[in-house]
Amino acid sequence: MKTIKASGIGKPIDRIEGRLKVTGMAKYATEFPVENKVYAQAVNSTIAKGEIVSIDTSEAEKAAGVLAVLTHKNAEKLKAFEEEMPELGTTTIAPVLQSNKVHYYGEYVGLVVAETFEQATYAAKLVKVKYKEETPDIHLDKSRAKAYKPTESSDFSRGDMDAGMAAADQTLEATYNTPIEHHHPMELHAVIASWNNGKVLAYTSQQMVDNSTIVISDTFQIPKKDVRVVAAFVGGGFGSKLNTDRHVILALMASKKLGKPVQLTVTRNQMFTNTGMRQHNEQNMRIGAKKDGTLTALSHETLSHTSTFQEYQEPCGNVSKMLYKVPNNLIKHRLIPLNFQTPCSMRAPGEATGSFALESAMDEMAWKLKMDPIDFRIKNDTQIDLSEERPFSSRLLIECLRIGAEKFGWKERKMEPRTNTNGNWLIGYGVSAASREAPYKKTSSKVIISLEEGKAIATIQMDATDIGTGSYTIIAQTASEYLGIPTEDVTVELGDSNYPVTPGSGGSWGAASYCNGARAACENAIAELKRKKNIPEGEEIALADLLKQNDLTKFEAEGTAEPSEEFEKYSVFSFGANFSEVWVDKDTGMSRIKRMVNVGSAGKILNPKTAYGQIIGGLTMGVGMALTEQTKIEPNFGNFITRSFADYHAPVNLDMANVEVIFLPEEDKIANKMGVKGIGELGITSVAASIANAIFNATGKRMRDLPITPEKLIMAKLEPGVES
Amino acid sequence: MTEMEVWNNKRELGNLSEDERKIFDQLGLNESSRRKFLKGISATSLSVWAATYFPPEVFASAAAALPDNPIKLVNEVKVNLRINESVKSLNLDSRTTLLDALRERLALTGTKKGCDHGQCGACTVLVDGKRKLSCLTLAASCEGKEITTIEGLAENGELHAIQKAFLEHDGFQCGYCTPGQICSSVALLEEAKRGEASYVTDDLREITKDLTLSEEEIRERMSGNICRCGAYNNIVQAFKEVHSSDDEMPTWEFATPEQMENAKSS
Amino acid sequence: MRPFTYTGAKNKEQALQSYSPTSHYLGGGTNLLDLMKEDVERPDQLIEVASLDYKKIFQNDKGGLTIGGMLSNSETANHPEVRKNYPLLSMSMLSAATAQIRNMATNGGNLLQRTRCPYFFEASMPCNKREPGSGCGAIKGMNSLHAIFGYSDSCIAVHPSDMCVGLAALGATVEVQKPDGSTRIIAFDDFHRLPGSQPEKDTNLMPGELITAIHLERPEFSEHYYYLKIRERSSYAFALISVAAGLQLKGGEITKAGLAMGGVAHKPWKFKEVEKFLVGKKPDESIFEAAAELAMKDAKPFEGNTYKVEMGKKAIVRALSQAYARKS
Ligand SMILES: Cc1cc2nc3c(=O)[nH]c(=O)nc-3n(C[C@H](O)[C@H](O)[C@H](O)COP(=O)(O)OP(=O)(O)OC[C@H]3O[C@@H](n4cnc5c(N)ncnc54)[C@H](O)[C@@H]3O)c2cc1C
Ligand code: SF4
Ligand code: FES
Ligand code: FES
Repeated sequence: MKTIKASGIGKPIDRIEGRLKVTGMAKYATEFPVENKVYAQAVNSTIAKGEIVSIDTSEAEKAAGVLAVLTHKNAEKLKAFEEEMPELGTTTIAPVLQSNKVHYYGEYVGLVVAETFEQATYAAKLVKVKYKEETPDIHLDKSRAKAYKPTESSDFSRGDMDAGMAAADQTLEATYNTPIEHHHPMELHAVIASWNNGKVLAYTSQQMVDNSTIVISDTFQIPKKDVRVVAAFVGGGFGSKLNTDRHVILALMASKKLGKPVQLTVTRNQMFTNTGMRQHNEQNMRIGAKKDGTLTALSHETLSHTSTFQEYQEPCGNVSKMLYKVPNNLIKHRLIPLNFQTPCSMRAPGEATGSFALESAMDEMAWKLKMDPIDFRIKNDTQIDLSEERPFSSRLLIECLRIGAEKFGWKERKMEPRTNTNGNWLIGYGVSAASREAPYKKTSSKVIISLEEGKAIATIQMDATDIGTGSYTIIAQTASEYLGIPTEDVTVELGDSNYPVTPGSGGSWGAASYCNGARAACENAIAELKRKKNIPEGEEIALADLLKQNDLTKFEAEGTAEPSEEFEKYSVFSFGANFSEVWVDKDTGMSRIKRMVNVGSAGKILNPKTAYGQIIGGLTMGVGMALTEQTKIEPNFGNFITRSFADYHAPVNLDMANVEVIFLPEEDKIANKMGVKGIGELGITSVAASIANAIFNATGKRMRDLPITPEKLIMAKLEPGVES
Repeated sequence: MTEMEVWNNKRELGNLSEDERKIFDQLGLNESSRRKFLKGISATSLSVWAATYFPPEVFASAAAALPDNPIKLVNEVKVNLRINESVKSLNLDSRTTLLDALRERLALTGTKKGCDHGQCGACTVLVDGKRKLSCLTLAASCEGKEITTIEGLAENGELHAIQKAFLEHDGFQCGYCTPGQICSSVALLEEAKRGEASYVTDDLREITKDLTLSEEEIRERMSGNICRCGAYNNIVQAFKEVHSSDDEMPTWEFATPEQMENAKSS
Repeated sequence: MRPFTYTGAKNKEQALQSYSPTSHYLGGGTNLLDLMKEDVERPDQLIEVASLDYKKIFQNDKGGLTIGGMLSNSETANHPEVRKNYPLLSMSMLSAATAQIRNMATNGGNLLQRTRCPYFFEASMPCNKREPGSGCGAIKGMNSLHAIFGYSDSCIAVHPSDMCVGLAALGATVEVQKPDGSTRIIAFDDFHRLPGSQPEKDTNLMPGELITAIHLERPEFSEHYYYLKIRERSSYAFALISVAAGLQLKGGEITKAGLAMGGVAHKPWKFKEVEKFLVGKKPDESIFEAAAELAMKDAKPFEGNTYKVEMGKKAIVRALSQAYARKS
């Protein structure tokens, strides 16, 4: 089937939709030309817990251009949760304005709709809400007694932790904190919602289109087939657009009421309270090891918070049950309901935060053992996933570490902190290991092939999204590969719920699922065309000829791919290693990343250019996690004092440095037929640890609370045993 | 004719209006690939993709005439906005920012709203050749100024060198910060020519024109455009290619069989 | 934003005449429009003054330099006269915000930018500066970004401008046009004020006064200068602490020193005593350390910002060392 192969999979081609993006023509949610649209602005609660006593909307209603004001008093009844503290999933309903109760600061309490954006935003300020305030629970520390074991428990144990600790020559117990973080994709969450004769059309910025239709249909109790969701381009998501949040429902309610399309954009300030977050995790680690570095015990206990009405748990401890060979192992996770919004998945949920704790603790232990941290990790490598008692489909972690060490020049690292300096700079090297589950989910697609001037051209359709991940491009490459036509002759149409169903973009399953889905449709098309003409399966024939032999100018086929039974017998993960060189100013405490090396073993790389993008993106967010990002809680009122993009420090260009990425040649055919594994989240995993470890190596200060800001570094004490 | 019939007609005949032709120019599609493209687009996707490419009033590199806002406004101001070399006269609410005028009144949605408070750079446009934030600029204050947006950078279907370099170096992922990054880069080329300094410039007293910016200089000067996808390294390389003909490309590699062999667990 | 009328002033007279107590002059808009969107500033009229013809930079009759009030921060920082003779000012200005914002921000507007105290921005929080009498949320709340010098019971906010720290170290005066058409000159040290019992007032400017120029003193720190800015990311962030340091040296001795700190008080904090202390000393690390101790001796931090004392000392030593180390 390789008759013509201009650019199939594996080639670093430019993004096929790139031209639209560099000319400003790619259309994001609120950019579709919808006639007669009006503008909405949401109103947020200004207390963290209590009840609305009264809402005065009269002034807002009188303001110029205002068409409607929605509050819990006049909002239509929506589907309500059937149980208490339901788990938050990506198809969870999103009822809003259903009662006078306030559960967190910033909860939606109203919506103003007006003719123009200026009118709506102004009038929203005129809505006057009176509350009866109650004392909110906002402190993880003060509410420890309320910690509970989540319904879907992620607790795990093997062996005997105490015995393992007792058998150790060297032990470590340390607590690591990761703060509340926010995804903050550059495109604000937004929607143009039309409710027309019972039919819904929503142009909205979502990662999972099909799930979005489910949320809308379930919340409004209308048939799913009457809901169409379009997300042709998504300006970043990082997990925050997995869920269909309440603004989508608000806009639809308003559209239904007014009979006009309603545009609603969540403001950057509202994105702190209304579109999820990564919660604060307090992770307690205990490690025991023999003198020679053999691990005897490892426990990872996490305390974090969920909202008071929904449960979300970030599985921080998962990484500690599978990454190393340790006979005695304990994983626990407890949640405290606090008066904040429900957290949700943020890039590499579990791994990004969990690996910070684990890989910092491993570094601490290596230092205690006076062992090289790479040797220490290699010593405890395992080819068996001990938590599932099954082999990894493929695990090249040792290769990642060794090849990375070579590239990075790890040899030059000084074991003793504070011994590598340059003027006012303290220089440190850090390493960490990374692992990220590589799931793969059932995915369908459709291929439409036609003959144009004797040439075969193809269109692939699926409801997949491209949130910057390169989906458009790798799907086109896949179709090119399996149809044997140049990528230029493939059109890819995504992000529309009218197309065949995919799992959407999340959890690093996108690339593997989408491409295998596209492959299945292409293979079906070819097989069927051959079958009709009794052409043997193995025979090579150009697609155009195949159409001609069939006397067809157009042909359509669908296909679905899903994990094999074989898949279930293995643990399927991507692995990686991060190396960082960090320079810390000895006086100001400001850190600069000087260079990073990332090695990834993530199956077949479909397009190294877009894969590289995913990796550097992950690294950048990892740098933010390590050095700059945090959302702080106001201790008396329970709002986020970090309330704008000027307060929440996402990394800027100068925060980044040279990055070298090495992909290991790996085709994991157990993972899926194409041998593709996820890479979008591997990039961020354990980055923060490699930086914190480098900062220890530079300064002799062990930074266990992220982010590592100048004020923290200046006040931190040297770790016992480090010479000043 | 219904929208669908118009579309099908176009598909068959490749009959394009002037504005549509411009779209294709921007997309870099020539005559035959145009027809192929039109065929390649399916009927079901019409409303999504046609909307993306086709409503003539949407494609407004030449700020096409949109129906004027019929809504009664308080504090209405009349402004002649000169955008991408064509003048558009608008009646606006005095509160309207340049950003909202572009996006909501002129359908020039290439300029993005990432924060609306001057904190991200997504809304960067060129005002009289200088990069500025359209979210903190009142449209009313733009009378008589020359505004260039992302839609106005390509000429006759030929992308600006910076646009090309972004494509080639993969200087973006989701694409949302991209128009701002590109406008910022275009302005930075000129700032370097004029010899402007930055905070990381070693000696401010040394004034030279036609600077060749170091990587650190580029990073500092591009720090006003946040890319949450983290495409910074590729953005720097894209800029360098145009600025200093540095042809360094993204630095990935595949491990060799030899490396793999040496690294095997013994 | 609340509704307002827009007046594009053609000249100074029109600007001054259009003024009413509920109006605001509009410079680059980078602070004002932000605060209007937050509903913190609520003018009913904006008088655009950024286009007025106060955009020149010229030698003044006192041997110093006069800088137009409506000139942009980037044009000012990059002006050859400023770069050559007042590099400390350039450096402080270039450390601020981003190229885009500096292209928009005017010199006049920069002097009047308001605090970044998060309580001030959040209409639902108590804040005496925003709403006199409502209380200060920061004193018993989150005060890691707040003052360690010169604050009062009613407000502990800091002034956010970098340029103003540079100006404080250099010495300057501000020229304003009074509504009656006359001119007033304000010493830079008297321009910004401490919060006292009226934190709503950031400066001693009277209603309707229009800033048209900044006059700089004769250049003295053109060779030994440094502006150090410590922040939570490497660029595009306000200072936790910043230090403007200028030294004049003759025969291995300090003959004049300019030293001011940002991020620590309601106004740029000028260390006059330390400036005097340094004169006549031979510059070395121990003198700089003594200067830092002296500078920070009266600092009174809050629970959340004790780090500022230690950071402040280190920053002073560092800024002075860097200024000294510059090869002339
Ligand atoms: C995201 C962000 C980051 C920033 N980072 C920094 C930073 O790191 N360091 C820093 O120093 N600054 C920073 N700034 C602030 C920026 O420097 C100021 O906003 C800018 O200098 C204000 O100037 P402007 O001309 O835009 O003022 P405007 O916003 O137009 O006006 C500010 C005030 O001054 C008044 N005014 C304006 N001109 C005059 C005049 N001529 N006479 C009398 N009154 C006048 C206005 O009425 C208003 O009250 C940042 C700003 C933003 C938005
Ligand atoms: S410190 Fe000043 S600005 Fe901040 S809350 Fe208190 S009064 Fe308001
Ligand atoms: S939208 Fe203007 S800076 Fe963010
Ligand atoms: S490309 Fe997504 S934010 Fe920059």
